[in-house]
Amino acid sequence: MADSSHPPILVVDDNPDNAHIIRDYLEARGYPITVAYNGDDALKAFEEVKPALVLLDVMMPGRDGWQVCREIKQHPTLGRNVRVVMVTALDDWVNKRQALQTGADDFVEKPFELPRLAATVERNVKLVAPNAGTGAPASPATPGTRTR
Amino acid sequence: MDYHQLLRDSLTRLPTVAATIDSIRKAVQDRGEVVILYFNFDRYSKVEEVYGWEKLDSVLETTGEAMREFLSKSPLASSKLMVSFPNDDDFVFFHVPQDDTPAATDAEITEITAGLKEAVSSEIERVHGEDIAALFDIFVGRSLVIYNPKLRLERQIYRGMREAANASKSLEHREQAKKVADLRETLRNRGLYIEYHPIVITDSQKVFGYEALARGNLRSMRSPEVMFEIAAQSDLIWDLSRLCRERAIEGMSKLLKDGELLFMNVDPADFADPSFDVKELNVKDPTRVVIEITERTAIKDYPKFRGRLKEFRDKGFRFAVDDAGSGYAGLGSIANLEPDFIKLDMSLINCIDQNFIKQNLVETMVRFANEHGAMVIAEGVERKEEYEMVKSLGVHLVQGFFVHRPSTSGVSYRPPIHPAPAVSG
Repeated sequence: MADSSHPPILVVDDNPDNAHIIRDYLEARGYPITVAYNGDDALKAFEEVKPALVLLDVMMPGRDGWQVCREIKQHPTLGRNVRVVMVTALDDWVNKRQALQTGADDFVEKPFELPRLAATVERNVKLVAPNAGTGAPASPATPGTRTR
Repeated sequence: MDYHQLLRDSLTRLPTVAATIDSIRKAVQDRGEVVILYFNFDRYSKVEEVYGWEKLDSVLETTGEAMREFLSKSPLASSKLMVSFPNDDDFVFFHVPQDDTPAATDAEITEITAGLKEAVSSEIERVHGEDIAALFDIFVGRSLVIYNPKLRLERQIYRGMREAANASKSLEHREQAKKVADLRETLRNRGLYIEYHPIVITDSQKVFGYEALARGNLRSMRSPEVMFEIAAQSDLIWDLSRLCRERAIEGMSKLLKDGELLFMNVDPADFADPSFDVKELNVKDPTRVVIEITERTAIKDYPKFRGRLKEFRDKGFRFAVDDAGSGYAGLGSIANLEPDFIKLDMSLINCIDQNFIKQNLVETMVRFANEHGAMVIAEGVERKEEYEMVKSLGVHLVQGFFVHRPSTSGVSYRPPIHPAPAVSG
């Protein structure tokens, strides 16, 4: 059962070997993992599982990772409660700027080392809203609103 | 997507037309008429353009909440059929009066609109700050649908919505013409003043300089965004820019203490103005003036532009690239301008404490600046967490409501709400 420090995670990668390595590694650390192998399935799984974090490969046939990220982040009810980590090398300014535009929160370079991946997952999980991963609506006090 | 999610807009938590059509139909059949009000939020597209879609989402949330609150206390409270389109930035309100009550008249609507505008605008200012509130404007169009059993009711309602939307548009156009007249008056009377927004040294929070922000005396001209938008449409941009520059420099001698700098916005288009030169600026000590050039406006002819910059640089003026990182241009185009200061785009600072890509980008920019002998300014620092983060990333200078708000008299030192730990040196 997911606790708040180990919320559900959706892993999206069209390469099953990669996806399973990530799944096994994170499952062993206590995270409930769902795997999707393409963009369309990822969106379906996203609505079903309501994960707090999505690890998203960029290069996929059909809907690529950027498109999936944008749709996840703009999802009318779940979009604001999820953090998206792109699994790709964002090597230059333009790439990273594009990643921001799609709504991505973080990235981990490919090929990744598993401990690094785990550290990336952890630093994002720490920032997840307490009710994320439950499908409950986001609190109205979203970050970015000024409190004075 | 879940079908039911399409029936209610998640941001404003208002039902959509599809979800309410049945109750509207019933009410109209019973009463025989419905007044449709279309709320057109002028410049929400501008908010989205400048601050990004997440910000507008958040502004819409506030808007929906404030409208519901206001209308529930208004004479229209008996008919609460307000709807929205999923994730759109306009709203529709269906007013079916109660029995024996006449439908709201145009005059009443105008009165309600004025109150509503005030209420929503002050709530937006409270939550999102005055810069966003200054962009807020609302035009309400009205149409009346009389029930006619010969026509399909849904279609009558949709037509009514379009009619109300058109009415709101024509109001907007009329208002636009008024604003052009206001701008001409502003230029004639030199009717604008300057607010100076402090830029501080990140570690010590000591004032380093001030950015000059022009504000029109007329209420409609308060927002520089609005003034410049109207000026661009009516071909008055050089005149307005000239007046802004004059005013900013006039206040300089009174305001600046030893070593403090004046940051002044200049549009790349201003460099095409033949009267804009070092003489026109009439500054005693040009080394105290930093000319900010926005990255948002494309520079067409780089060699020519750099030639123009050189004239100013040779006299001692310094340069800042404003909104750096807003476009996709990357670092190359920034390097091209050889700036002394790099002012990061606000979207990179907003919630930087929670986004690791933003942190990475800002870190890259700081490294780039250090290599090129420039200083990085983080603009739009509003929260303690943002301040702490840019500080830890090595950003040299900071500007934003967290440290100071703009004021006409420069700075009356206002300690931050959560004072940062004292840093020596």
